[in-house]
Amino acid sequence: MSVLERGVRGVLIALIVLFFLFPIFWIFLMSFQTNEDILRIPPSLFFAPTLSNYAALITGKLVSNAGTLDIAFMRNLWNSVLLSTASVVVALILGVPAAYAFARFKFRLGEDIAFTLLSFRFAPPLLVLLPLSLYFQQLGLTDTYVGLIWVYQLIALPLILWIVRGYFEDLSPDIEYAYRVAGHSWWRTFTRIAIPLAGPGIAAAGLLAFIFCWNNFIFALILASASKQPVTVGALAFVTASGIQYGQIAAAIVLSVAPTLALALYAQRYLVEGLSLGALKG
Amino acid sequence: MAIEIRSVSKEFKSGKVLERISLSAEDGEIVAIFGPSGSGKTVLLRLVAGVEQPDEGRILLGGRDVTDQAPEARGVGMAFQNFALFPHMSAFDNVASALTAHKVPRDIIRAKVEKIAALLKIEHVLGHAPRELSNGQKQRTALARALVAEPKILLLDDPLRNVDAKLRYEMRLELPSLLKASGSTVLYVTQDYKEAMALGDRIAVLSDRDFAQIARPAEIYQRPATINVASLFGDPTINLMPVEPLSSSIGPKITIGGTALSLPSSYGRMAGKPCVLGLRAENIIVEDTASPESVPVEVVAVTPLNERTLLLLHTNDGREILASEAGTNEAPRRHGAAFARFDPETVLLFDPASGRRIVPQAA
Amino acid sequence: MSEAALSIKSVDKIYEGRGKGPVHAVKNLDMDVQRGEIVALLGSSGCGKTSTLRMIAGFEEVTRGDIVLEGRRVNQMPPARRKVAMAFEGYSLYPPLTVRDNIAFALKSARMSPKDAQRSVAEVAQILEIEPILDRYPSSISGGEQQRASLARALVRQADLYLLDEPMGQLEPRLRAVLRGRLKSLLVDRRMTAIFVTHDQTEANALADRVAVMEGGVLQQFASQKDLRERPANLFVATFVGEPPMNVFESKVVNGDRVRFAIDGGPTFDFAASDIPLSVRAAIGRREKVVIGVRPHAVRLGVGSEDARIVSNQWLGDQSHLAMEVAGKLMVAVSHAPIPAEVGERLKFGVHASDLHVFDVGTSAALSHGLEAA
Repeated sequence: MSVLERGVRGVLIALIVLFFLFPIFWIFLMSFQTNEDILRIPPSLFFAPTLSNYAALITGKLVSNAGTLDIAFMRNLWNSVLLSTASVVVALILGVPAAYAFARFKFRLGEDIAFTLLSFRFAPPLLVLLPLSLYFQQLGLTDTYVGLIWVYQLIALPLILWIVRGYFEDLSPDIEYAYRVAGHSWWRTFTRIAIPLAGPGIAAAGLLAFIFCWNNFIFALILASASKQPVTVGALAFVTASGIQYGQIAAAIVLSVAPTLALALYAQRYLVEGLSLGALKG
Repeated sequence: MAIEIRSVSKEFKSGKVLERISLSAEDGEIVAIFGPSGSGKTVLLRLVAGVEQPDEGRILLGGRDVTDQAPEARGVGMAFQNFALFPHMSAFDNVASALTAHKVPRDIIRAKVEKIAALLKIEHVLGHAPRELSNGQKQRTALARALVAEPKILLLDDPLRNVDAKLRYEMRLELPSLLKASGSTVLYVTQDYKEAMALGDRIAVLSDRDFAQIARPAEIYQRPATINVASLFGDPTINLMPVEPLSSSIGPKITIGGTALSLPSSYGRMAGKPCVLGLRAENIIVEDTASPESVPVEVVAVTPLNERTLLLLHTNDGREILASEAGTNEAPRRHGAAFARFDPETVLLFDPASGRRIVPQAA
Repeated sequence: MSEAALSIKSVDKIYEGRGKGPVHAVKNLDMDVQRGEIVALLGSSGCGKTSTLRMIAGFEEVTRGDIVLEGRRVNQMPPARRKVAMAFEGYSLYPPLTVRDNIAFALKSARMSPKDAQRSVAEVAQILEIEPILDRYPSSISGGEQQRASLARALVRQADLYLLDEPMGQLEPRLRAVLRGRLKSLLVDRRMTAIFVTHDQTEANALADRVAVMEGGVLQQFASQKDLRERPANLFVATFVGEPPMNVFESKVVNGDRVRFAIDGGPTFDFAASDIPLSVRAAIGRREKVVIGVRPHAVRLGVGSEDARIVSNQWLGDQSHLAMEVAGKLMVAVSHAPIPAEVGERLKFGVHASDLHVFDVGTSAALSHGLEAA
């Protein structure tokens, strides 16, 4: 590639990156600005940074012209972590053996069942929310962590099932046969051979499920009260009667996005590998 | 009886692969299971290993019916065509896996693994992961894994297939003594007839869902049961020609290339019946001069093959025949007119309808 | 001076690596192919033979050097203009056309009358035994049939040069011997210049007038298969060509009143100085160590001063392969009759001076072949 081609390519990439990352960058800036700075016209890249937004979030007290407000942001952050992690763990415990069964054992209606499970991701959550909230009330599951984790399986389980199944299908069955003929039971073969070899896929599926669970808004909004709500819902609190606290929203967004962004950056290699490996056939 | 396969059938969605097939192997015997690709040889091996279940029939190992037993309980050693090594374990652990299932003490495992590795010349790569090994080393590791627990029954699924030609030849020379020394009863699957002849005490030829013939290698080569078996053994493939013997005062005669040729009188009863004549390339002698009962031919192509020379011959009645001679003499003068003859005793006759060989009858 | 049909002059091919560094696939290759000659490029995978073929075809650029076709330098010429017909691995038959149309397609651009085209197709189809599948579609025929159809498509064209990539690799073993004979016959009758790539030396030997043995991007030897077998230029060619390959052993050599080859850890072959021509003794010179080789065919069994233990005795229907333990390795002897000896027995063997090949230990180059210096 000639120098000109390289230069043009670099400029184009920079423009595209700018286009996609600009909102995130701007929000990052906003989180260090006071409300006055944010609303100033014309907007300026230069300002005196302040940590007051973060302080407000962490201490849980928002001091504004209209008085002091209690913000439960840290609690929301904790809820997000708890719900996402627990949901993914449950989904893995249920989903990985199920994925193995779908991959290895051909049983009647197998494909139909698998597709039905996948279809849960197609349906918009609003479709099931109303009946679900009624059932939850009857079962006493409203506003419980258990209830939410259970509902989150609708998000996490299909994902884990389909990605991990692809990984198991890519494993040559001969490797498992070899281990069994060598004298090991079916269970040992599953735990010592199948799971380790599908490791990248399981990790990728788990990460993806975590990110999707973390981003979920509607289930917690309807099925839980303020004390159990994750950051997605908690951000609404910044729309107050006395005005929208853009600074705190920006800081909240930064803190909300940070964990999943860090995870994704750390594991992006596995994510791409996990999602594309099903397509390759050796 | 070390291995007994009794009337076993297996069907897949794509069709029936094995139909009421039976085979038995004595202690310490090496039985080569030979057949073209897709004939069900691998399926048969898997049935014996327990990795697949037969639709009907029984499998007995050492006299015990194991048809319903899981593979880990059968105590067989198996080597797969594509090696099937565990990618996340070292070569050492791969081999040791055949021993770790039975709570063998670590130092004994180490001793056994190192012993078999030395025998197969892979002791220096035991610490490596499978992806760091060459194909030949992978194959030997897979073999080591099958052998290390000194199983009574050894199942080898075309272990030399994915290995380059030179190594395959070397292993073909070393394997027989290795297998005999192990004392195991061996079922060896292969698509290469030379491998089958080199390794097998007996060869079971699998085609069309059943065994066409089970016999010693020499018997299969010299007295094949069917046209199919005859054409699967021998390089180049046996010449097959439709003929119709006629009786004459001196015995049955056939006509090739306008020349009347005698057949042994033990085929006398085939006079007037259409047959297929089988003649192996190495039994045809090509000369420059005519002799009684030699067929005029044209030598159309001369090509060397495995320390022999192949001559492609055309007869004047449109037949194409391959002859092979010992040695490698391809002087250009060989092209052109020549004469071909053969010893009638080397001829094979088959019934065209059933494909079965016609057995010569003493007069 | 007859013009070479193809001339490869000092050609190098370097692939830019991506993370692994550059790959020097072909190193300084010089080769001339005469009109009407059939040449095989033989070697194991990665030796550079396919890269070479692709450069001749025009699918790869030449990094250094020139490719000259019929006197014209064609380095920059696109494949379509080079007047070469190709049958490459991967068959690449057009799925929506029948086999017949696929083959005839090549003739459409040659502007042949439909009647002539059909006749050519029928001829080639008969030679390659694909008449029964002429009206089928590529997706419904077997791998071996696809390969033959692809071959037919290349052969039916009129071209200056025919390039075939592993033409018979997928073929059912039963058909190979006959089709090789027919293919050779066709190429010779029509005086077609052909270059084909293969890793199967039986195929190379069967079809080619001369074989170019390649390894590691370097041309090892370019000669008739008789010369490759009887006068291999180096150890690689000696042990690569021939099935079974040549038996080679490192040995000490004493070059005096008697010429003695003492194989390390093995037997000694002892010859009177008068048995070995001066030229050979001069080629061996003052070396103390050499590598000696003897072809399996040439091992004399049952006679000789040395004996060895038989490790295996395999009768393959038309020939016998006997392996004996010599110097910790296996020495193979081939005979065209069954050998009545059991595994474990000791059998005498010997070697004539006229069958002995000597190679230099360091460079692996051949020093002598039998009674002639290399």
